[in-house]
Amino acid sequence: MASKHKTSSRTGNWRKWRGVLGFGLTGVATLISLGALFSILGYLIHQGIGAINWNFIVREPAAVGEAGGGIAPSLLGTLILVSISMVVGIPLGIGVGIYLSEIAGGTRFASVARIAINTFIGVPSIIMGIFVYFILVKPTNTFSAIAGGLALGIIMIPIIARTTEDVLRLVPKSIREAGLAIGAPKWRVTFDLVLPAARAGVITGGILAVARVAGETAPLILTALGNEYYPTSLFKPIDEITLRILKYARGPYDVWHQQAYGAALILVFGVALGSLLLRLSTRDHDALSR
Amino acid sequence: MEVRDTDILMSDQSAVSLDQAYKLRVNGLNFYYGSFQALHDISVNAEKNRITAFIGPSGCGKSTFLRTLNRMHEETPEARVEGEVLLDGESVFDREISELRRSVGMVFQRSTPFPKSIFENIAYGLRIRGVDSSLISGLVEQSLKRANLWEEVKDKLKKSASGLSGGQQQRLCIARALAVNPEVLLLDEPCSALDPIGTSKIEELLLEIKESCTIVIVTHNMQQAARVSDYTGFFLSGKLIEFNNTKSIFETPSSKLTEDYITGRFG
Ligand SMILES: Nc1ncnc2c1ncn2[C@@H]1O[C@H](COP(=O)(O)OP(=O)(O)OP(=O)(O)O)[C@@H](O)[C@H]1O
Ligand SMILES: [Mg+2]
Repeated sequence: MASKHKTSSRTGNWRKWRGVLGFGLTGVATLISLGALFSILGYLIHQGIGAINWNFIVREPAAVGEAGGGIAPSLLGTLILVSISMVVGIPLGIGVGIYLSEIAGGTRFASVARIAINTFIGVPSIIMGIFVYFILVKPTNTFSAIAGGLALGIIMIPIIARTTEDVLRLVPKSIREAGLAIGAPKWRVTFDLVLPAARAGVITGGILAVARVAGETAPLILTALGNEYYPTSLFKPIDEITLRILKYARGPYDVWHQQAYGAALILVFGVALGSLLLRLSTRDHDALSR
Repeated sequence: MEVRDTDILMSDQSAVSLDQAYKLRVNGLNFYYGSFQALHDISVNAEKNRITAFIGPSGCGKSTFLRTLNRMHEETPEARVEGEVLLDGESVFDREISELRRSVGMVFQRSTPFPKSIFENIAYGLRIRGVDSSLISGLVEQSLKRANLWEEVKDKLKKSASGLSGGQQQRLCIARALAVNPEVLLLDEPCSALDPIGTSKIEELLLEIKESCTIVIVTHNMQQAARVSDYTGFFLSGKLIEFNNTKSIFETPSSKLTEDYITGRFG
């Protein structure tokens, strides 16, 4: 009896210490990680802030290695590429999500499709770049905004499909049945009743997907290529901000290095602003649904 | 008053006569969820412009039975039926499904207003049906009046339906079902979430709309069945134990099981 007691109190002590140790370690991990993240940010600001001025945002790049000039074509190119990707990714992604949630449901095909979608969400984005390179860039013999936007759009599809399916499944069955019960055909129930009920979630999913592709580089090297000048055609190579960072960071000139940091800084703040807006907009939707 | 199966079966034109007397006829209905049999060989008829109630303990198959009448069970993937369900003598399984559901409306236990305005909740069914848009606001008003809801909502038609009380929402759902002029109205425990006042408003309403509609109602509440219905059926474990006019069921039940249930000995 007595010895048993001892053992259990000793285990109790060990448990307590193990708890303290565990929490201590998570605290250390947090410190190290936040420290690393903030030093990256600090370093970016330190190195890049000097490059940022009005001209940096509205000018084309200067002649090779010379001071001055800006990254306006990259910013504009990013905007164009993201727009093309939205035209491709949003309708297809939402379509797949609707199909899986409302039509295919529990079929074998749907489970296979879900596995494929989850896989593609995790696949490195360069795979999409290679794919578009071989089906579009190589046959037409030209890098282009279309090819870049297509690659980004394909990356968006599984992300949007997944979030759309998830939020549609959250819409109560009773709404669907009530619609069917008044004789609405299934497709009208889906578009008139279910989709509007899930609207906030679908929009959030779309914004997340756009944020994700806005920072992609790898697939663009193989498709959009990059460009020193303002875009003139969707069928010609186009610049994008991470391509610009890559080029300047790898180049031999100090001005380029500083401008790479400046562009990176703009990208980081763009993403921060985007997620802040996302937070605010979803908070609004939550408040509305309450 | 009531027409008995046996009286008519004597005649030569039995089928024709049955179809005239009964709006809905169910013959030898078996219902399965996968391998689980939820209904066993149900045969029962619902008379035109009458209220037919089904009572029975939880899980006995009342909702399942009601949902086969407008084929709502087809939304459950593993559900399967055998047997006949006839509306005016024609199998519901041969009808185009959306069109069938316009003839056979349904109101659910939990009120299910659409995430739209009060006006749009009713107008939606009319639009689906292709009703000319110039007629819609008149028909919305008429349906709300039929459901005794007009006076309470006429000043807030543009407001969201979710702001209504539970009883008002349920009457809105009834109005929505009535808007497309159904021949049959199915109600699955429409008052179970309502207080006595909300309940009596719905009951009054049912007595009014049976003038133009055949009503089948499922209820947990035996007093409700006794108050509103003309005929009552008692379900137990997926079987229809007894079906008769309401007075007989409650005063002189022929089955011991029915008697035990209505006297509150179980369930
Ligand atoms: N989707 C389903 N899949 C499998 N079994 C089901 C399903 N729906 C109902 N059942 C089963 O069928 C039987 C009848 O269910 P039903 O919902 O018709 O009962 P009910 O009489 O309406 O009960 P309640 O009064 O609680 O609403 C129950 O045993 C139930 O567990
Ligand atoms: Mg039920």
